[in-house]
Amino acid sequence: MADDDRGPVSARSLRYLQENIRRSGPAASASYTLIGAIILLGGLGYAIDWWRGAASHWFALGGLLVGLFVGFYELAKTVWRR
Amino acid sequence: MAVQEHVQEQLATAAHEKFNAGKVIIEHVSNSRLQHPLVHLPKVLGIDFSITKHVLMLWLIAATVFVVVTWVVRRYLRQDRLIPSGFMNALEAVVEFVRDGIVQPNVGRKWVDTWTPLILTFFVFILCANAIGLIPVFEVVGLLDRFVLHTGEDSLVKQLLHGGTTATANFNVTAALATITFGAIIVAGSRAHGFFKHWKNLVPPGLAWPLYILLIPIEVLGMFVKPFALTMRLAANMVGGHIAILAILSFVFLFAELFGRGAGVGVGLVVSVPLAVGISALEIIVILVQAYVFTLLSAVFIGMAINVHH
Repeated sequence: MADDDRGPVSARSLRYLQENIRRSGPAASASYTLIGAIILLGGLGYAIDWWRGAASHWFALGGLLVGLFVGFYELAKTVWRR
Repeated sequence: MAVQEHVQEQLATAAHEKFNAGKVIIEHVSNSRLQHPLVHLPKVLGIDFSITKHVLMLWLIAATVFVVVTWVVRRYLRQDRLIPSGFMNALEAVVEFVRDGIVQPNVGRKWVDTWTPLILTFFVFILCANAIGLIPVFEVVGLLDRFVLHTGEDSLVKQLLHGGTTATANFNVTAALATITFGAIIVAGSRAHGFFKHWKNLVPPGLAWPLYILLIPIEVLGMFVKPFALTMRLAANMVGGHIAILAILSFVFLFAELFGRGAGVGVGLVVSVPLAVGISALEIIVILVQAYVFTLLSAVFIGMAINVHH
């Protein structure tokens, strides 16, 4: 019997939960970075548009696109790293 | 007589005012207003240093954690037995959990002792800051004030009742914590590889130079995105849970206003209170998970700066 299979059910469940969460760390960081990049750079673009007082939203659009690019780049790095 | 009439007019206006759930909820989760802080302090270089409720909560949590942990560890060091007991036992379990479960798998054996103190501080501080939001300290003070103390409108007790108690639901607080992580990532990379090599490690070596023109700005933006994601995630999760509970409790007042007091009490007994109790129970898990995820992500980012693989 492996060491991990010993002990009460609750202790084993917590151990497996911890192990799974630990392994999901890089994936969680990639997903949060993806969303964070889109929100941050899209928001930055929107703020620039608002500051310029322009009717169009080209900076917001540009920010969203760059955010997507940066987010997916970070995601790709995490996937290839593994 | 004139004063009495004025008070009666005010009460009549208040009675006719509609219940504004959004305003009440925001007032209960946000910081105290900058126009009415707990203590007014002068601006320095354009920055307002006035003490608001969230600042007070930060100080209280930091002081409590510092005093309790120092006292418990000193008491343990003075005793003859090596085996810890009571609170020290729990503290040791937390330290081992953070060191072996969060820091070591991400930064490696060589750097575990260097980065465990920072990550452990994050974990304990965020956990306590999250948890204090679930304890109705100021609500009890409010009850005491209403029925026993009867303090004036401008008293400190009244000021303390405004705003939320969860400091980690304030984006400025989580931004400050994420800024520490941002600095730690740079320090970790610089210590492991040297200052210049750390910045060179941002992009993979051996690529054609036009690619670097594209990759360097992306990597620099990525550096800022990571702490931003940490900031938004923690604050949004903490504020979201409180808004959900307050929104459900608002049903009582909304239904009472629309269909009478009986309907409000009925909705409260059948829907609002049981749901609020359920979400509060979930919040206990949320405060643990959010402290865990913040520290885990910080350890992952620090680990990525130390263990570079392209």
